[in-house]
Amino acid sequence: MITKINVEDAVGTRLAHDITEIRPGIFKGPAFRKGHEVCQEDICHLQKLGKNHLYLIDLEMDEIHENQAAAILARALAGSGIEWQDSPREGKISLYAAMDGLLTVDTTSLAAFNMIDEVMCATLHTHTLVRKGDQVAATRAIPLVMKRSQVERAAAIAAQNGGIISVKTLRKAKAGMVITGSEVFHGLVEDKFAPILSAKILELGSAVSGVVFAPDDENVIAGAIRSHLEKGCDLLLLSGGMSVDPDDVTRKAIRMAGAEEIHYGAAALPGAMFLAAYIGEIPVLGVPACGLHHRITILDLILPRILAGERIGKKELAFIGHGGLCKDCPACHYPHCPFGKNI
Amino acid sequence: MQSFETLLNESAQAHGHLCPGQVVGVRMAILGCRLIGLSVPLGKDNLKKLIVYVEMDRCTADAVAHVTGVRLGRRSLKFMDYGIMAATFVNLDSGQAFRIISTEDSRDLASVYVPDISEKGNRQREAYKRMPDSVLFKVQKVHVKLNEYDLPGPTRCKSVCSRCGQVVRDRREVIVDDKPVCRPCSQQSYFDHAREVCWPGMNWSPQLEGDNSPGEASVKLHPEEILREHHNINDSRKRDCLDYKN
Repeated sequence: MITKINVEDAVGTRLAHDITEIRPGIFKGPAFRKGHEVCQEDICHLQKLGKNHLYLIDLEMDEIHENQAAAILARALAGSGIEWQDSPREGKISLYAAMDGLLTVDTTSLAAFNMIDEVMCATLHTHTLVRKGDQVAATRAIPLVMKRSQVERAAAIAAQNGGIISVKTLRKAKAGMVITGSEVFHGLVEDKFAPILSAKILELGSAVSGVVFAPDDENVIAGAIRSHLEKGCDLLLLSGGMSVDPDDVTRKAIRMAGAEEIHYGAAALPGAMFLAAYIGEIPVLGVPACGLHHRITILDLILPRILAGERIGKKELAFIGHGGLCKDCPACHYPHCPFGKNI
Repeated sequence: MQSFETLLNESAQAHGHLCPGQVVGVRMAILGCRLIGLSVPLGKDNLKKLIVYVEMDRCTADAVAHVTGVRLGRRSLKFMDYGIMAATFVNLDSGQAFRIISTEDSRDLASVYVPDISEKGNRQREAYKRMPDSVLFKVQKVHVKLNEYDLPGPTRCKSVCSRCGQVVRDRREVIVDDKPVCRPCSQQSYFDHAREVCWPGMNWSPQLEGDNSPGEASVKLHPEEILREHHNINDSRKRDCLDYKN
């Protein structure tokens, strides 16, 4: 039960919730914390904050306070690689990455969770690369007092698959690279692909196990793939030859090398002619020529997910379409832009 | 327990088609029975322990009835015309009762759970299979006031309408001026302007099948004759009613 009292009559009572103070551009936070015993000196400050009345709370058996609710929600939302502290501020609990890795949000369950009245959780986009300590989400119960059953139902939805929010570590791959193209192989054109792809692999904490150059010959390319596999690479990147010209034979070579599952074409620009395949359990990524010209392409969206253990198939390459169009800005601000923020 | 898919297919066959309401109904029945300590399909003994109140006459109601085995004619299925996608499962042994409500949120969330199907019906059907119970339903623990006249079993009481003489079972009469009256006579009826009629082939019976079809056996009445007939009956019925009043 909630009772409203005049602030002048509140001396000696304890605050039912944090009271927020906002000084534009200077401060936003609790001026008073929940449980603070109101004294005579506080009355003026409270009135300046626009508080002429205060609530006294006497919880019914089936009710819980917003702070208690926030803790229940946070516990349910947090999956592996997430940490949080049971010290709500203004009824809100923040969730943090417990390690470097790829933030994964079960967006479907998040939508279902947020459809429950009076609870909320906001997150960063799923598939965002995060560092240990980064805030990745926050949750709160919206009213001061909530029905316990409603909080528990929201918590059940949040917890169903081990939590809605998790951080997955990126495995440290040994990436074999095949740079295709007769013009590069024969030295007519200087290769630019190997350094670009290598930098991206190293940036994600993986290593390049070797780089092989191959002409536009499917047998040679397939041989290069096999050679990488024999040397123990656990990720393959191929550049070039992904287009529709007669000289573009990389796809055929990947099939010849033993790929059974091949997904060619992705709903992203740049990156429409991207290829994701698997030889056994080893991912094979075909990077089209756009990788040479654009700082960020579909590879930057997919590679972290591969390293986080996700299997990329037709569905994943198709669903990327919404938000899959790069604006090609004069100064690239990725990841702080809409590219790849599809789901 | 039979698999969900088996229950769904059987239910859809009995109902006539496989629609989103069937999926919701089958899941509602499984959850409802589980909450009151029974599992589907119910054996003969457990079936006697169960009463289900359905609050809608939609596909979902058929699925709930099919999966649980409750029947209107056994008094184990009660229809409450609330227009709410909900059903209450009552265990007569333990008195436990849970009301399961299909959430409106689940309709809005169908496209989130199944983004790759654009046709609404198919999308909902698949989504309702994927959603956890916590998204698909809200559940209330409720107390259901049962009186002995609502229970399955033989008729416990008969009374006679003081106006028309109709026998009324299980205390469904209303009392007007301290006298029992059937619902139609008390003006609490879904119909009005009732006129008893004769109809073509009214002397047919299954025993006569083979000798005479209803058409052949009929005394072919001209529409005017039918009209005259029911006016006559109506007049006599009015007299009967007056007699009862007296």
